[in-house]
Amino acid sequence: MQRAVNFAKRALRRFWRGLREWCGDAAYERYLGAKGRQDAERRTLTAEEFYVEQVNRRYSRPNRCC
Amino acid sequence: MKSVLKFVVWLSVAMAGAGALAKIALDRGEALNATWFVVAAVCCYLVAYRLYSAFVAARLLALDDTRATPAEIHDDGRDFVPTNKWVLFGHHFAAIAGPGPLVGPTLAAQFGYLPGTLWLIAGAALAGCVQDFIILFCSIRRDGKTLGQMAREEVSARGGFIAQIAVLAIMVILLAVVALVVVNALKSSPWGTFTLAMTIPIALLLGVYLRFIRPGRVLEASFLGVALVLFAVLAGQWVTASPSWARAFTFGGTALAFLIIAYGFAAAVLPVWLLLAPRDYLSAFIKTGAILSLAAGILFVRPHMMMPPLTRFVDGSGPVFAGKVFPFCFITIACGAISGFHSLISSGTTPKMILRESHSRLIGYGAMLLESFVGVMAMVAASAMPPGVYFAINSPASMVGGTPQEAAATISRWGYHLDAGTMTSLAHAVGEQTLLNRAGGAPSLAVGMAQIFSSTIGGERLLSIWYHFAIMFEALFILTVLDAGTRVGRFMVQELGGRVWKPLAHTGWMPGVLLSSAVIVGMWGYFLYQGVVDPLGGINSLWPLFGIANQLLAAVALVVATTILLKMKRLRWIWVTLVPMVWLVAVTMTASYQKIFDANPNLGFLSKAKSLAAEIAGGQILPAKIAETERLIFNQRLDAAVTGVLALMILVLLAEALVQWFLILSGRREAILHEAPYVATQWTSGFTGTAHGDD
Repeated sequence: MQRAVNFAKRALRRFWRGLREWCGDAAYERYLGAKGRQDAERRTLTAEEFYVEQVNRRYSRPNRCC
Repeated sequence: MKSVLKFVVWLSVAMAGAGALAKIALDRGEALNATWFVVAAVCCYLVAYRLYSAFVAARLLALDDTRATPAEIHDDGRDFVPTNKWVLFGHHFAAIAGPGPLVGPTLAAQFGYLPGTLWLIAGAALAGCVQDFIILFCSIRRDGKTLGQMAREEVSARGGFIAQIAVLAIMVILLAVVALVVVNALKSSPWGTFTLAMTIPIALLLGVYLRFIRPGRVLEASFLGVALVLFAVLAGQWVTASPSWARAFTFGGTALAFLIIAYGFAAAVLPVWLLLAPRDYLSAFIKTGAILSLAAGILFVRPHMMMPPLTRFVDGSGPVFAGKVFPFCFITIACGAISGFHSLISSGTTPKMILRESHSRLIGYGAMLLESFVGVMAMVAASAMPPGVYFAINSPASMVGGTPQEAAATISRWGYHLDAGTMTSLAHAVGEQTLLNRAGGAPSLAVGMAQIFSSTIGGERLLSIWYHFAIMFEALFILTVLDAGTRVGRFMVQELGGRVWKPLAHTGWMPGVLLSSAVIVGMWGYFLYQGVVDPLGGINSLWPLFGIANQLLAAVALVVATTILLKMKRLRWIWVTLVPMVWLVAVTMTASYQKIFDANPNLGFLSKAKSLAAEIAGGQILPAKIAETERLIFNQRLDAAVTGVLALMILVLLAEALVQWFLILSGRREAILHEAPYVATQWTSGFTGTAHGDD
């Protein structure tokens, strides 16, 4: 029983994490942890700066299909 | 033992798929159950994925997981983000699945369910998925370069320019045609118009929330937004019930077209965070939810197909759009079988997020299979309603008449029985004044979806709410395509314009922003207006034009893919991209020729212009209508010119590629690949992309 509960908890956690990544909710956390950025940037953007920069970039190229 | 068991399981899946396909193709008895379609599609997809995509991955592409992908090399947390393969699958699917796989199959149901279903399944497995997969692979190997950049480097500089122009052309026609679908769904519909109008203040609210209150908290903002949108769907019935409110939200086609044009302009020039991005978040959630609900509804209700497998309109005399089943079935269903637009997502965005080369099989090939399944569901929803009702909704008034009585008489004469009372009571049941002459696919799909949903939950009582939920879902994500596309189109105009006049290329210069936005909105707005005033309903001419442009882009993508494979010396398996490319060139060339030159005025643009000119010369047109008719003549000639230019572009690109292939094969030119250099991965084989922050 305990094993089944743990399995369900793990599955739910994975689903939640996947959902956050899929919709962009976890994008700022990703940015903070990105290795290439840490090497190249001097100043870390705030959550607000990052959000505005990210949506500006994303909607400047085809990202939604017919 | 294990391998024998595996073989038996896969053999059973293959036989189940073949059996279900045979039943769909050969059964001429009682109405077929939708379960056959689900079984045929799913089994064929499983076999195609297991065998064909594995063959392409291993033999043709030789995917290499020891090679670091662009996401690993750059990993900047912005564009280059190593992403778990299932998350990226969802991301890629949400990006490629737009209104196309829903609207195209619904329109193609005028031929009956058989041609469209077979094309959706076979086209996806052998062409569409292959294109998405191989372009994704090529872009991964080139640091996430776009299709245009790859065409320029691997084919020729002119090839790159043609790809760029083709993308702009397809964007203009796509935006016009999807806007027309919304206009036809919302005209004289206060409920639908109110609901869609409410999504604008809701998106603005979310925009402010995501920018200032809880920056980047997309999930909680989207939950709030979805709840508000669902409330707006319910509130729409109160608007319809109030005469003054209903009047305020009742618009004709032309007024709606201008409102949408104004909206498109605003969305292109306003800050992205304010309107465009929050609307897109909302749309992604509602789209995914609605597609999953439709799949669940079809499995639960298992409706019977009322549409025959083949209708009399395979001969080209169809009321929804003119043209024979070949080539027009393959033009009408682009997204869902093969869509050139996907190659823009497969290059540029997704390749920068992929963890391993081997994931491109699931993401490139697999996501397209899922989109094809969405197309099959749309075909089921459209074919589950009586054909008489389907034709009454989708035929223009100039063909079937503007009243229920006239429509019923005409459609019954075609052999599809329809009572005048059926359309009146159906319109009443879904909360509309009329459902007649609403070409575009959205209302008939909404009726089909509402009937499936209401058979699951709520019965007849909730039919009107389900109908408007379906209309809202379609219109919402069509408007998302519209505003995102207009903005991207603006950048393309700025880039192209910058070649002529440099200041135009500065994306932050406001006069340039306003001018380029006005240019792109003006272009698609003109085609939209032309569609709205077209006596044949606009979809009749614009959807085939869109299909031709989209398939043309797919041909461009396959030319690029074939050239790269040739340079990689994969000559033995070159038919994998060469055969779909030849097929698409044959389809687009035949369709373009017929659309321009066919003697039937309902099909050929030039013969329509000629017959209208003859009517003016013969005095058959009232003096008050002459100016309008002359505009129609100009529009027909413009459509012919656009089709001709599109066809010419693919011929030029093809000629360039053929010369290049000949020179390489004859050894006169060295095959230089522009791949990024090999870098070995530093990640262990078990790494799944959850390195940053989330356990």
